[in-house]
Amino acid sequence: MNKEARGKVGRILLLVGRLALAVIFLYAAYAKMKPAGTMPWSVASVRTSLAMFALGVDSYNMLPPWAVSPVAYLLPPFELFLGLWLLSGIGLRFSSLVSALLVGGFVGVMVSAYERGLTISCGCFGPGEQVGPRTLIRDGLLFLPLALGVMIGAFVTGRKPSASAASTEIPAAHSAE
Amino acid sequence: MIQHTYGSLDTQSRPRQARRPRAAHFLMALCALGLALAPAANSQTKQASARHASAKPSELPAPQKGYGSASAPIVMEVFSDYQCPMCRNLFEQTLRPMIADYVAAGKVYLVHRDFPLAGHLYSGQAARWANAAARVGKFEAAEGALYDNQATWEANGNIEKFISEAMSAADFARVQRAMQGCEAPGPTAGATGGVMPSPKPCAIDPFIAEDIMLGLKLPVHATPTYVITYKGQRLPAGSGFVSWPILKQFFDSLLSQ
Repeated sequence: MNKEARGKVGRILLLVGRLALAVIFLYAAYAKMKPAGTMPWSVASVRTSLAMFALGVDSYNMLPPWAVSPVAYLLPPFELFLGLWLLSGIGLRFSSLVSALLVGGFVGVMVSAYERGLTISCGCFGPGEQVGPRTLIRDGLLFLPLALGVMIGAFVTGRKPSASAASTEIPAAHSAE
Repeated sequence: MIQHTYGSLDTQSRPRQARRPRAAHFLMALCALGLALAPAANSQTKQASARHASAKPSELPAPQKGYGSASAPIVMEVFSDYQCPMCRNLFEQTLRPMIADYVAAGKVYLVHRDFPLAGHLYSGQAARWANAAARVGKFEAAEGALYDNQATWEANGNIEKFISEAMSAADFARVQRAMQGCEAPGPTAGATGGVMPSPKPCAIDPFIAEDIMLGLKLPVHATPTYVITYKGQRLPAGSGFVSWPILKQFFDSLLSQ
C-alpha cells in the first residue's frame, strides 16, 4: 500500500471513529435527559431526569454536595454539545482532545468506585446500569481507545499536509530554489 | 397496609385492569365505612393492642414497615440490610431527615423492604426482629435501634438487647411473643438468586421472603437499592448512598411536575 492509499484509509478510519464517538456522546446525553417513564418531553421532565442523574453522581461519593448538582446539570448538555462538535468536524484536534479527556475521566471515576466496592448505578447511559466489569471493559477497552485513536488521528492528519497538497507544494519549493 | 402498597406498585395485568371499576367501587365503599367508623377506632386501638399482647405469632397482623401516609404522591421503597454499613449511612444521614421533613409533611411515603444479604451473619435475624416489632406497631423504634447500634450487635449478635432498650417492657414482651420460635440465623437473599431459608424457619420469615422476592424482581444487585414511584409511575431503581439535599432536590423536581 503506497503512502497516498494509506493516507486515504487513515482519513476514512478517522471519519468513522469521529462519527462513532459523536454518536456515543449524543446517545449518552439523550439517555440522561430523556423523560423518565411515560413523562412527556418538557423542560420540567428534563429537569427531573437531570435531578435523577444527580442521584447517580452523588452515589459515586467523590464530589462535595455543592458540586453534585452543577456537574449533573451541566454534563449531559455538554455531552450533547461535544457530540455535535465532533459530528461537525470543526476544530477536530480540540474536540477529540476534550472527548479523550472526558472518557478518560469517566473510566477513572468508575475504576475508583469499583475499587471502593461501591455497587452503584453507572449513570453512563441513563439509570439502571451497574458499575462492574462489563461497564469497565466497555468504557476502558472500547470507548477510551476509540477516543484516543480519534485524538491521535486528528493530530497526525492535522499536522501533516495531505498527500495531494504535498505533491503540489514540493515543485513550488523547488522552483523557489 | 403493606399488601395494598404491593398492589399499587406492581404493574397490573390486563385481566386485573378489566376488573378495576369493581375494585374501585369496593375500595370507595371501604373508605366510606372507614370514615364512618373513625370515631370508634381510638377506643378499639387499645383493645387491639391488648389482643396483640395475647395473640399467637401467626394471628398477628402483617408487618407495618411504612413511614407516613400511603397516599403521599411519592413512594420511596428502600431495599436494605440491617448489617450493611451503607444502609446505615443512608438511614442515619438521609432517611432520618427525610422522615422528619418530607414524610411528616405528607409528600413522601417511605417503605422499608428487607433484603438481608447472605454474607452478613446476623442480618436475617435482625430483619426478623424488625418485622416482629413491625407486627406490633413498633417498627420505627426497632429500625432506629438496629442502625444506631449496628457496630455493636454485628460483633456479638446480641440484637435483642437493643430492641428491648428501644421500647417499653410491655411492647418488648409483645415483640418477643412475635419472635417465638425464631432462632438465628434468619432467612437471607441467596447468593445466586432466590431466598435462602433459615434452617429454623418461623412465622415471620414469609414476610422477609416476600420482600426479597420483590427485590429480586427489580433486580436488586446490592443494598441499599431504592425505587421511587411518583403518582403511580415507577422510576428506574437507584442504588448506593445518596445525600438528603440531593434527594430532596429530586423530590422537589418531581413535585413541581
